[in-house]
Amino acid sequence: MDAIFKDPVLLATVVGTSLPFLSMAVILIFTRHNPMLSSRISVTSIVVAAVCALLNLAKVAGASHPFRFETAWMSSGNFHLTFGYYLDPLSALMLTIVAVIACLVQIYSLGYMSGDPGYSRYYAFQSLFAWAMMNMVIASTLLQLFIFWELVGLASYMLIGFYYEKFSASQAGKKAFVMTRVGDVGFFLGIIILTLGFGNLGIPDLNNAPGTGTITTGFITMAALLVFCGVVGKSAQFPLITWLPDAMEGPTPVSALLHSATMVAAGVYVFSRIFPFFAASPNAMLIALAIGTVTMLLASTMAMTTYDLKQVWAYSTVSQLGMMVMSLAAGGYFAGVFHLTTHAGFKALLFLCSGIFIHEYHTNDMRVIGKQGGRKQLVPMICITVGALALSGVPPFSGFFSKEAILGALNAQANPIWLFAGLFGAFLTAYYSFRLIFHLLFPKGGIEEKHAVHEMDSHGHKEEHHGGLFWAMAVPVMILACVTVVLGFAEHSLQGYIMAGGGAVKHASTAATGGAAHGVVGHELLVILGISAGLVGIILAWFEYGRKGASRNGFLSYFPPVWKLFDARWYMDAFFRWFLDTAIYSGLTSIFTRNDRRIIDGGIDGICFFTETGGRLFSFMQSGMLQYNLLIMVLVAGLAMLFFIV
Amino acid sequence: MNSLNTYLIISAFLFSIGLVGVLQRRNLIGMLISVELMLNGANLNFMAFNRFLTPEPVVGQIIALAIMGLAAAEAAIGLSIILALYRKMHSINIEQAQRLKG
Amino acid sequence: MTGFPILTAILMSTVFGLLTILLIPPERTKLVKQVSMFWATVGLILTLWLYFNFDHSKGGLQFVERVLWVKSLGIYWFHGVDGINMPMLLLTAVVLFTGVWTMWELEYRAKEFFALMFLLVAGVYGMFLSMDLFWMFVWYDVSLFPMYPLISIWGGTRKEYGAMKLTLYLLAGSALILPAIIYAWVQGGAITFDLFELQKIGFSLLDQKILFVMLYLGFGILAAVWPFHTWSPVGHVAAPTAVSMIHAGVLMKLGAYGILRIGMTLCPQGLGYWSDLMALLACIGIVYGALVGLAQTDLKYVIGYSSVSHMGMVGLGLATMTVSGINGAVFQMFAHGVMTALFFSSVGYIYDRTHTKMIPELGGMSKTMPIASAFFIIAALAGIGVPLMASFWAELLVFIAAVQVFPVGGIFAMVGLIISALFMLRVVQRTFYGERNEKFGHIPDVSPFLAVPRIILIGVILFFGFFPKVMLDVIQSAVIPFVGSF
Repeated sequence: MDAIFKDPVLLATVVGTSLPFLSMAVILIFTRHNPMLSSRISVTSIVVAAVCALLNLAKVAGASHPFRFETAWMSSGNFHLTFGYYLDPLSALMLTIVAVIACLVQIYSLGYMSGDPGYSRYYAFQSLFAWAMMNMVIASTLLQLFIFWELVGLASYMLIGFYYEKFSASQAGKKAFVMTRVGDVGFFLGIIILTLGFGNLGIPDLNNAPGTGTITTGFITMAALLVFCGVVGKSAQFPLITWLPDAMEGPTPVSALLHSATMVAAGVYVFSRIFPFFAASPNAMLIALAIGTVTMLLASTMAMTTYDLKQVWAYSTVSQLGMMVMSLAAGGYFAGVFHLTTHAGFKALLFLCSGIFIHEYHTNDMRVIGKQGGRKQLVPMICITVGALALSGVPPFSGFFSKEAILGALNAQANPIWLFAGLFGAFLTAYYSFRLIFHLLFPKGGIEEKHAVHEMDSHGHKEEHHGGLFWAMAVPVMILACVTVVLGFAEHSLQGYIMAGGGAVKHASTAATGGAAHGVVGHELLVILGISAGLVGIILAWFEYGRKGASRNGFLSYFPPVWKLFDARWYMDAFFRWFLDTAIYSGLTSIFTRNDRRIIDGGIDGICFFTETGGRLFSFMQSGMLQYNLLIMVLVAGLAMLFFIV
Repeated sequence: MNSLNTYLIISAFLFSIGLVGVLQRRNLIGMLISVELMLNGANLNFMAFNRFLTPEPVVGQIIALAIMGLAAAEAAIGLSIILALYRKMHSINIEQAQRLKG
Repeated sequence: MTGFPILTAILMSTVFGLLTILLIPPERTKLVKQVSMFWATVGLILTLWLYFNFDHSKGGLQFVERVLWVKSLGIYWFHGVDGINMPMLLLTAVVLFTGVWTMWELEYRAKEFFALMFLLVAGVYGMFLSMDLFWMFVWYDVSLFPMYPLISIWGGTRKEYGAMKLTLYLLAGSALILPAIIYAWVQGGAITFDLFELQKIGFSLLDQKILFVMLYLGFGILAAVWPFHTWSPVGHVAAPTAVSMIHAGVLMKLGAYGILRIGMTLCPQGLGYWSDLMALLACIGIVYGALVGLAQTDLKYVIGYSSVSHMGMVGLGLATMTVSGINGAVFQMFAHGVMTALFFSSVGYIYDRTHTKMIPELGGMSKTMPIASAFFIIAALAGIGVPLMASFWAELLVFIAAVQVFPVGGIFAMVGLIISALFMLRVVQRTFYGERNEKFGHIPDVSPFLAVPRIILIGVILFFGFFPKVMLDVIQSAVIPFVGSF
């Protein structure tokens, strides 16, 4: 206990990561009926957590080696589990991202969620999420990480299904939980195999393991792929993509925090956390690279057909996550982490801006919002454009720098196909982002004047907008926009920070990228290609949606089957549904249920039936007269006596 | 005349009377009395063997005493059953108690 | 044996409870409940005292009471606790305490109900405490037979059928156990029923094979080993709330405990011979239970099948014969006991108020009774194996051992984790989410008084979920030497 107070880093970590849990407990137990107090408690705790995280970020920068605190948690035979904190630059950075964005989102929710009947519940689950996510980030062992990983999933389930009266919301929550669970079981198995085969789940120990030669490459490949299953589930990679767009049923701040900026990035985070371990297996890296690429392209195509504001950002999240996985799998460790950082910022920004629109117009449809004069909302409109520019990789916004870094990593691969896939993805991203922006800015048929009634109705509403609640929503958005503008320029200092002292990481990174020494294309050409992929996308979008007299249909509408394919998410959902219905519900489940009823129960009941019927058949011998029975008994006894005596 | 056989014959006679009584009487109380007779026959047997064959250990007497206790308990339980039966069917005729026929 | 016979005192707390309840006039139901509560509390306090005074660093059998009872047969009044039955005692005490509290609103023939319940629990305590085969069997049967009247008088859906089925199944199990115990006694020279003396004698391999399979099947029926599981959902559905709690929470553990304590102690080589079969049945049970659970429309059936799945995990852990596996199995017995008790207690409340436990008729219960729903949802999360709930650790240990010993079976069983998540969440969604059902709109939520027992159960789940060490150190103190003796 003393150690906690002596060591400022430990103190900050413990305080920062435990407060949200306390706040959740307090809210759920005591202040459920006092929404105001609940939100204050939650926001205070997360602000403290963010401050602690920033302190730690600074402390880690000055330290020569990572901070590691561990304590034995349980042991069973020769299996020992330690709980603890492992603060290296990566986890300190991620902790800061999580705490700061959670903090901004919770402040934003003060406005967005105000008046909701489940206000207290909302803040309780937000706190649960913050607690689980922060503990996951700084976990010192893979199993501890997994524990909080599952709890993060739980928080996500609760928050997606927040509007539980809506069938689609509870359905989406269930879908998210079960689909990520599929990946998690793989992750779990990977952890078990690592326990059995390697015996140590400490994250730094795992990262140093390949160098020591205690485990074979085959074993690493198997373990890495199993762990990667978890990444696939959590980060919505192919083939477990479809839960993430559905997860948009949750309140928009939840989508901003969990399903774009932080929680879904957990998969990528785990990948980068044990990056040297992954990198020791070229096969695993190749599979990860392929999955990342497929995911990125599939999700980008899906984003091109939907009119739902949040859906577009959801698909784009999936595709950006795919891009991060690609980057890591191509050996671009820093590029992946950097993109995670910038993406967290601008994607949260995009969602929060969309949230303001949705809050104002009560619809998710970009065409309707545009028609009702979405562009008149200056703060969100400017900010959403900033976010979209960053997403499209336009300089000087943060997304440009990280996307260039990723393209650089892909460029180092021997096979140029990955680079082209990346460029194509960048083009698609820019196209669908600006399709959305132009829909908002230049709606089809111009802006409809609001009905007078509506105007009067929303009069009181309007005033409120310029009150505290509006600013609770606007300020976080503006902060995020500023971050998006400046973060890119911090690339080099961030690189220095992340790669400092990461010997294993550096080594693995160079080993994995070592395919083509000079890259497929030169450095300057790459920058030009990257920018132009984005610009071409924007120009195409302008041509179709922005300019005067544009058809506003998109080129895809000339190919209805393709449109339908993209719109139906490549029929992935249909496949899962079909699988679940035929193989599970009407297959195994009904067979087994019938087996239980007919064969097992039927058999037992049959035995009982025969016993009973037999009894009835033989009951004719029973007269019910006591004395006849006695007489028979006496006779038999007499006969037996005779038999034995004679 | 005071030999073992006399006692044995008497006890067998008692036992047989009891047995016939149990089998023939339709009245439950009669049956119960007959059972007591059978028990007394057995008792007499024990006493006789004890007296004539092994006078030293008084095992026979002990068993006879035990049987008397048992008979008392039996009478108590039997009578209470009969009472319960009477309450239920207002008769103590054994022919009426044929529920187990099913 | 020195000092206060605490174990006999724990056992006697239920016997005295039974006797004092019998002395109360039946119409004074309030007094009956107060007296029941008093004795349940006494049992709980004694057990907690025992738990905190149990020295897990020393291990072995502690608080031993051993008195020769029948010399010619070698029967002993032999009680003791070690790491294996200590969690079970705690579980029994907690479930009895919360069960009595849960049934506070019972008015119909309350005296008989609580008397039978104490008789049942006396049997359970006796079985967990005794280290003498004769007494184990006696207490085992004492715990079985009150189930029949409890279900057939106070039960619900198809109560006579359920009661009859359950009783027949379980007695069929005892019919296998009794010959096995007598066989062991005869093979041991017909001089002692003392479990540990019989263990020292050591049976021949053939004897072990025969004995183990008899004990496994006999006790396995009570532990709902597939394919002898169908009594369990039917019985649970028919039983009244507290009986379901005790039955699924504690009584099913008697079966697994019997396999562990008698079967594995006496015939480790027999287990070695049969372990593949045991693991196979367990794995099938895990997946099968979850799949059948998917199709159920009755809340209690769902829980019944989830029990089949979870008890499969106990069987799988035992079959591995490793420290982690048995640790996990014992932990799972405890965790599952508390969890199902919570399940049944929350379903019981809903059923008492709405008079239905059919999932399609409910729906939107979160709006109507948020707290009662929260209890169920927490239990469901524990059932899914969400971390920081007690059952997570148990599943972790069982799977570590299973993947090590039976890689194929272990991985197959892990599929059960996905399915169990699917079916638990499906039930939660259909029952508690969705539009508010106006039919039940007027029903009040759980009163604070009735919430207490459920909160205690949740507290136990979370406490051991956060601090598994507290439980595992105790369990281990017995399991490590036990595995070493194989």
